[in-house]
Amino acid sequence: MSEDKLKTDEKPLKPTESSGWSALKALAEGFATTAKHLARKPITESYPEVKRQLPERSRARIVLTHDPDGRERCVACYLCSAVCPVSCISMQSAEQPNGRRYARWFRINFGRCIYCGLCEEACPTSAIQLTPDFENIQRDILTLVFEKKDLLVEGCGKDPSYNYYEHAGVTTDQRGKGEHASETPPVNVKSNLP
Amino acid sequence: MDTLLGLIVLLIKIAVMLGGLLLAASYLVWLERKLLARLQIRLGPNRAGIFGLLQPIADAIKLLTKEDIVPSAADGFIFRLAPAVVAVTALLMFAVVPLGPDIRVFGRAVPMVITDLNVGLLFVFALSSLGVYGVALGGWASNSKFALLGGIRGAAQMISYELALGLSLVPVVMLAGSFSLTTIVDAQAGIPFIVLQPVSFAIFVISAMAESKRIPFDLPEAENELGAGFHTEYSGMRFGLFFLGEYVHIQVLGALTAVFFLGGWHGPLLPPVVWLMLKIFIVAVIMIWIRGTLPRLRYDQLMALGWKVLIPASLINIVVTGAFIQFGTI
Amino acid sequence: MPKLTIDNREIQVPTGTKVIEAAERLGIMIPRFCFHPALGSVGACRVCAVAFTEGPVKGIQMSCMIDVQDGMVVSTTDAEAVDFRRHVIEWLMLHHPHDCPVCDEGGHCLLQDLTVAGNHGIRRYRGLKRTHNNQDLGPLVQHEMNRCIQCYRCSRFYQEFTGYRDLGVMGIGSRVYFGRSVSGVLESPFSGNLTDICPTGVYTDKPSRYFGRRWDYQRHPSLCLHCSLGCNLTASARYRRVVRHEARPNLEVNGHFLCDRGRYGYAYASAADRPRQAMAAGTPGTIADILTGAQEAIQRTVEQYGPGSVAVATSSRSSLETLALLKQACEQHGWTGPATTQTDRQALNQRTAVNCLRPELAVSLAADTEAHDVLVIGADPLNEAPMLALSLRQVQRSGGHVTVIDPRGVRLPFDFDHWAVHPSAMGAIVQALIQEIAGDGTAASTEFDVTRLARQLNASPRPSVICGTDILTSREIALAGDLAQALCRTHRVAGLFYVLTGANAFAAALTQSERVSMETVLDRIENGSVRLLVAVEQDLWREFPDRKRLQKALKRLDHLVLLDYVNSPLNHEVSYFIPTQPIYESGGHWINQEGRLQGASAVMAGGDTIEVTGGLDHPPRVFESHIPGSEQLAAWRALAALTEDHAKTVKAIQEETLRSALADFHPAVDTTSAQPTGQRIDLNAVSHAGVESTEGPVPVVNEASSDTVLLLLVDWTFGTETLSAMSPTLEKVEASPVAHMHPDTIASFGLAEGKPVTISVDARQLTVPVQADPRMAPGVMVIPRHHLLEWQIFGETRVIVKRSQLNADGV
Ligand code: SF4
Ligand code: SF4
Ligand code: SF4
Ligand code: SF4
Ligand code: FES
Repeated sequence: MSEDKLKTDEKPLKPTESSGWSALKALAEGFATTAKHLARKPITESYPEVKRQLPERSRARIVLTHDPDGRERCVACYLCSAVCPVSCISMQSAEQPNGRRYARWFRINFGRCIYCGLCEEACPTSAIQLTPDFENIQRDILTLVFEKKDLLVEGCGKDPSYNYYEHAGVTTDQRGKGEHASETPPVNVKSNLP
Repeated sequence: MDTLLGLIVLLIKIAVMLGGLLLAASYLVWLERKLLARLQIRLGPNRAGIFGLLQPIADAIKLLTKEDIVPSAADGFIFRLAPAVVAVTALLMFAVVPLGPDIRVFGRAVPMVITDLNVGLLFVFALSSLGVYGVALGGWASNSKFALLGGIRGAAQMISYELALGLSLVPVVMLAGSFSLTTIVDAQAGIPFIVLQPVSFAIFVISAMAESKRIPFDLPEAENELGAGFHTEYSGMRFGLFFLGEYVHIQVLGALTAVFFLGGWHGPLLPPVVWLMLKIFIVAVIMIWIRGTLPRLRYDQLMALGWKVLIPASLINIVVTGAFIQFGTI
Repeated sequence: MPKLTIDNREIQVPTGTKVIEAAERLGIMIPRFCFHPALGSVGACRVCAVAFTEGPVKGIQMSCMIDVQDGMVVSTTDAEAVDFRRHVIEWLMLHHPHDCPVCDEGGHCLLQDLTVAGNHGIRRYRGLKRTHNNQDLGPLVQHEMNRCIQCYRCSRFYQEFTGYRDLGVMGIGSRVYFGRSVSGVLESPFSGNLTDICPTGVYTDKPSRYFGRRWDYQRHPSLCLHCSLGCNLTASARYRRVVRHEARPNLEVNGHFLCDRGRYGYAYASAADRPRQAMAAGTPGTIADILTGAQEAIQRTVEQYGPGSVAVATSSRSSLETLALLKQACEQHGWTGPATTQTDRQALNQRTAVNCLRPELAVSLAADTEAHDVLVIGADPLNEAPMLALSLRQVQRSGGHVTVIDPRGVRLPFDFDHWAVHPSAMGAIVQALIQEIAGDGTAASTEFDVTRLARQLNASPRPSVICGTDILTSREIALAGDLAQALCRTHRVAGLFYVLTGANAFAAALTQSERVSMETVLDRIENGSVRLLVAVEQDLWREFPDRKRLQKALKRLDHLVLLDYVNSPLNHEVSYFIPTQPIYESGGHWINQEGRLQGASAVMAGGDTIEVTGGLDHPPRVFESHIPGSEQLAAWRALAALTEDHAKTVKAIQEETLRSALADFHPAVDTTSAQPTGQRIDLNAVSHAGVESTEGPVPVVNEASSDTVLLLLVDWTFGTETLSAMSPTLEKVEASPVAHMHPDTIASFGLAEGKPVTISVDARQLTVPVQADPRMAPGVMVIPRHHLLEWQIFGETRVIVKRSQLNADGV
């Protein structure tokens, strides 16, 4: 290998730029920073003396919300219970006389929930939602098992507009065949016209 | 009669030493948590007692009363043994650490060391090597992959750094001309070895931290990849013993650093014991500061540092020191 | 055999195989909607497109439409093919409604799977969706036509495969509609299969509607116990309730399908009134206590009256395990029994059929479909073993011919010859046939053209004889065997297929060392030689044909020990009642009518369903580790505990007892290892010697006369078989019971069509509406053993009724 092959355009590093030196500098900076912190006032807010308003997307106690028209949103599709990594949701689906599928009972065992939010993500109707209310502690673990009546809250929660049965193609008292969003009226099979 | 008296004195010394160590260990935890919190602009423990001063007691009660779980797939005997090995080896090392010059009680000279072995330094090494077993066996006996990986990492790391640690002290022994810790301290009555052996000191401190598995060398328990590493499966007081071992180890390191490099109990004005404690305290604070500042090394970095930097550096240092002793002024 | 390469792997398959099937053999699952192994290809959905890169066919082609040829090179992963399939999925989804969350197919939907596999996550189509109105198809199948992807599987199955016409395809273009011309209950007793074959959620299972998702079900292979065919099925349970049966493909037995009796007959297992509590004379107790009590009672009886005073009865729905333990107990302790049938005639029929079934003649249900000409003697396929009708339909579809010799007005969903012969004349006809086939045609001339039928069977490449055992006498059953043998002699291939009465009737027949039926047991009770009866899964109340005699006799017993899982009025009266587990909880083995040993797994642990524990609301809010109401034992465990001293609680001892009982059961049944489950048992080891002689003229039993009518109490598709008759679902589709008679017979006895007739037997009456059926043999009256009728007054299921016993109501 010839000499000039080794030549590069880079100028030789000054001692202050060498990696060893910058490493030392970085180390020193780090130690100085942490040392300076000793003199700063801690930023900790002491709970429960200070209770901060948590962001809406915080994941804690789970609720079941209602449609904008005030009816139960959950259609008991079992998707949340399927996705739940700790299997803490159980329910029984059933049909109401008006054609709506609903949860006859719906149970979340908060003693087991890890508040991962997967149920909310899986829910096709925006029914199940996590709320910022994390102060959910009980002495008797059975009281952490919430039934449907404990889970249902008024209003739509974080999704103010979605109404599943406006879109589903199934007949309910809300919409008939061909009356849902972007549907044409039902086909007349007896007609011969093209 | 003399033997009996000697025995009594020895027992008293052991009791005082143990009591002091355990108390110090628990408050070291408090200190670490408090200081760490402040380094990170947090508050740290502040609920149990004023400034959270009762926190160590609360922790102790908690650990003692927690359920002691032995995983069904674990090797029960070794699983139970491992934490004891860690704690006992750490405690035993203090047997040879001199706290001060002899004092006279009722006209008898009482050495301020439990036993002044003439191979004290070797004893320290022997014990710290034994400590590896606690980690490796605890990790293996848990029969959990995290614990096993932690145990293996711990064993590899401790064995690697044992070497650098030992080699870094060779110059000290060469300078002091003895393995006895008391003699080494006495040799520093004038100038502490840190001045004469800065390289040795640096290597010793780094290796010692690696030995005690502290950040930035806490790979055996790397929380974010291994759960809690070798003690993942431990709970209650067995976990507490690992914990205790770690904090006793910090004190041992502080004491050894003081003994080998900072002149042991030597110092002006204050009584010798206080000096020693002060030095231990300073070392501990620095270690906490390091923990509060540095991130964990990668595994290859850890190994490279040990084998490619520290060991060669200490070997060179030995040669240079030897040359100085042979031809030089010291 | 052509050899082709699929995805760089070579495979050789028989000529005529489709590429899609060849790929399947390699474990490559090409997407498909319209292709179904039982229904064949139509190329309607276009989703099975693959690329043919080399060889006789080139380009993107439908793998379900192309027969394999030598040298084909196929790529299923070719970019163009994958892209094609992706687009097909998107087209099929254009009009698909937004209703997966409320669709019961979701979770096991082929369309859902392929949509995900095709990476079609977001709808790009912005147009309006085409919609359809739904129809009410009855209590079994839910219709949601919007979800259709026009694969035509349903209409092909319904019309071509089963031969029913009331569901099919209508409309043109994008308006194609699958349904009935008007809403109404589906006529086919195979309609439940629509829910299995529809690849989307157009037809979903109505009884389990919204009950849960497939992934939540406990699903295990099980067997149908509702007739002797032993169709394979997958049973699903949820929250300790059996919720669904699906066909489990077994190409030897039921193919890919089930009949509705089998599919919906499971309700008895989770019925709210299922007995779950052990009782002694109506007083509840723990199973262990009651078992001890029963055991002591047996001991006392044996000490006092000798071992023969203990009789054992079971039915042909019990598992092989139960039968084996009973057989062993009877042999070891010298007890009487086991009686496995109600009447002596049934016992003899069962045994004759099993003994006549020679290994070289036995065919499976699937092999029946390959038969070319089938003669059915004394069996009503649709009513006695519905899936048999489906097999016969396949015979007819493939150009074969079916002739039925039966006095009933047999109906089948296809064209067949029906000889409505009076039962007493059937033996002679079969004998004449045998003679014709053997060539010594001395056939007595009858109104039926025996000679032609014999010639037809003789000319057939693969004739089969199917014979029922319910209404016949043992002589005809043996003659059917002779007929098959005669055919075999001239053909070398001929099939013989008996339809038995009960899921495990074959095994039950193997337990019969002497002729013991409930009838004989009652005789012995009446003469005082039997003092204690252990009835195991034997619903005497419903099945014994003389209820009054039964009640009287049972009262004479010192003790009656009953083990069962169905509710019966007897349960509260018996001395010891021990609840047992149905097949879904115990699992076990059953031998179907052709001698096939089949296994069923336990599906769930059992226990009160949450409807019972929680009402319609949530389950109770308690922590407990044991399932309430799950204390029942499998019948064989309870029996082991009854017969062995130390087996009361120790499962290992019970299992040891079972092992030895199974080993001793019968040389033909090897449950250890040599014989994998699902294979036919070693019919060679079944004694064929016990068959009664068929030499000489056939004795005429129950001869027709103008003064009497022969009453046959028969099976119907729905409503007669004990277990399925408890299904509330099937109750909605079952026909109401009537007495069928030939119009001439109705007239000659002064009865009126549509009006009730009252039949009196010793001051007991049975009243049923009369219905004329011109297809029937004259002189015969057919009444179903329907759960709505108190038919248990006759003492037999084939009896002569005199003119004086018949009373036209109001006449
Ligand atoms: S937050 Fe996570 S753990 Fe909790 S119920 Fe939802 S899916 Fe389950
Ligand atoms: S995913 Fe949503 S709609 Fe479905 S069951 Fe859960 S809460 Fe109900
Ligand atoms: S209803 Fe189902 S089976 Fe019938 S054509 Fe449509 S998708 Fe296919
Ligand atoms: S044919 Fe018989 S065995 Fe098969 S499903 Fe129907 S009832 Fe069950
Ligand atoms: S499966 Fe081949 S076209 Fe439908």
